[in-house]
Amino acid sequence: MTEYINALMICLQPINLLLIVAMVSLGIVFGAIPGLSATLGIALLLPITFGLSTETSFVLLLAIWIGGVSGTFISAVLIGIPGSSSAIATCFDGFPMTRNGQAGKALGIGMTASFIGTVGSVAIATVLSPVIAEFALHLGPWEYFSLCFCAITLVASLSKGNIFKGIMAAGIGLLMGCIGMDPINGANRFTFGNVYLSSGISTVAQMLGMFAMCQIIRDSARGEAKMPDADVSMMKGLGVGIKDIVENIRTIVFAFVVGLWIGFLPGMGSGISNMVAYGYAKSISKNPESFGKGNPSGVWASETANNASLGGALIPMMALGIPGDGITAMLIAGLTIHGLQAGPLFMTEQPDLAMLIFACVMVSAIVTYLVQILTKRWFPYILKVPYHYLYTVILVISYIGGYGISNIMFNIYVMLALCLLSVFMSIAGLPTSPLVLAFILSSKLERYFRQGISYAHGSYAEFITRPISCALLIVSLVCVIWPFVSDYLKQKKAAEAK
Amino acid sequence: MKMRRDTITGIVGLLGCAFFLMQTQSIKQPAKLLEPGPRLLPYVAIILIALSSVALIIKGYKDRNIEEKPYFPKGGVLKITKSYLMLVVYAIAMTYLGFLITTPFATLVFIYDLKGTSRVKLVPSIIISVLVTAALYAMFVFGFQVKLPAGAFFE
Repeated sequence: MTEYINALMICLQPINLLLIVAMVSLGIVFGAIPGLSATLGIALLLPITFGLSTETSFVLLLAIWIGGVSGTFISAVLIGIPGSSSAIATCFDGFPMTRNGQAGKALGIGMTASFIGTVGSVAIATVLSPVIAEFALHLGPWEYFSLCFCAITLVASLSKGNIFKGIMAAGIGLLMGCIGMDPINGANRFTFGNVYLSSGISTVAQMLGMFAMCQIIRDSARGEAKMPDADVSMMKGLGVGIKDIVENIRTIVFAFVVGLWIGFLPGMGSGISNMVAYGYAKSISKNPESFGKGNPSGVWASETANNASLGGALIPMMALGIPGDGITAMLIAGLTIHGLQAGPLFMTEQPDLAMLIFACVMVSAIVTYLVQILTKRWFPYILKVPYHYLYTVILVISYIGGYGISNIMFNIYVMLALCLLSVFMSIAGLPTSPLVLAFILSSKLERYFRQGISYAHGSYAEFITRPISCALLIVSLVCVIWPFVSDYLKQKKAAEAK
Repeated sequence: MKMRRDTITGIVGLLGCAFFLMQTQSIKQPAKLLEPGPRLLPYVAIILIALSSVALIIKGYKDRNIEEKPYFPKGGVLKITKSYLMLVVYAIAMTYLGFLITTPFATLVFIYDLKGTSRVKLVPSIIISVLVTAALYAMFVFGFQVKLPAGAFFE
């Protein structure tokens, strides 16, 4: 508790509070504009944190994350285009509400639901993470290997479209993670005689090349950088009262629980939780036919769930050092830049820093809500930012970030190569999340596996005979097999229906 | 018959596997290890890519009669190639001439490249390019103490 209060005091220092306000505002802009995202915001900020203290760095990264995730509902409500996949279900009723002249109310619901989801889930994450971390200290390399393996298979199997594409992307991520010295014997792998490659591919270069650069040139080539005009009428006031919350309390509570749980599971996150919560809100409604035509419950469900996923994702990241999605993978990369390793040891040995992360997320959520209340009437103008200027600045910052990793041009060329790889992956329909997760976890996965075998004097049996490890491997196996079983069952059902 | 994207991805994946398989053979494997050694992870990754490549080739073959929507609209491939080459030229120019000389030109070129159907005027764009360069230079060099490339010709 003392650590948490100390951490809160650090966040509330004027300079840090100012940074939180600035980064939250920037995050809201990134979240609101379709095509930009909190992920991109963090990728751009990572190089800036090289010269900053750990505390300041995390204030910046976490504030832009919270603002970015929260801001996704703005374009979903105003123009019917979600800022990211986490706000897809918000479009279903948010945009019809705008067309019905209730834009102000829809935005108010989005803001309040985001606030409830984030604050509630982060409070739970703050309490649960130390308990889980304490338990995780008793786990060995066998369990950690199985956990990393399970996270990668979950993300790969849940990839959009085809499981083989997810597996292929994970394989590419593992192969990229092999570049450089191996973590146990120090043998050089795939360095092609280049000394710069001995230390491996920089995570920052990877993020900037694969997210920032690729997205900009790809969107420009696909002609996806134009947006319709937003309705700016009826924007006064918050638009929501206690009565609205009480009327939708069942939906809010369920959406919160769903969001928290789905966020906790690797690979799922807010992109799925908003859809599941929306489906439930529709199923319990007395007027399910009103969904899709501007029912406020739809917006409550979607926005509470996607923000609750944020706290859910914090738990495995902090307690186990396992990122659940691309954003938490980047936050772990941010910790690594400052010589820290997320996981149970971090929670127990540096509780002040760990609590700073939770406190900063909490303060950022509150600041996000306040900033949104104060700036609500200007939301439509965010969507009018000229893309060609914004994207140009992002491109130049990417170059600066690439160079800043170790003050050599080589990383910029790595970034360009990864940008090209990412473009090809987009054309092939290969998802980036399994690649990012596999790349980040590759060294842990390898180290734990090889350590596990070494400790067991060359035996592989421990992975199966230890109950937690075995259970996680079974979950991984089910994840890989389930899409095929599900397809088979669907085909069988369709054949029977004929 | 036009090949589907899945088939092409599978073929490229298999070619990549062959290349990395050869490279993996050259990784030094220490003798008398209790564990599988440094070649393990590359082999696992190669097997995963190879298996999924074969599956994608089969899927592409099965779906061969289904019409596939082009990924880029007309002229998109040319546009992305042009944009990518600009990025490469900027990197090369920055290597030799440094950040301050190349960035105003690169910024101007990027603004025109990314403008799409929007109207952009030359003079304001030149002013914006210079201002963006100066602002970013000041912010990173003086604000965040991040070094920027000076250029091989000036070092």
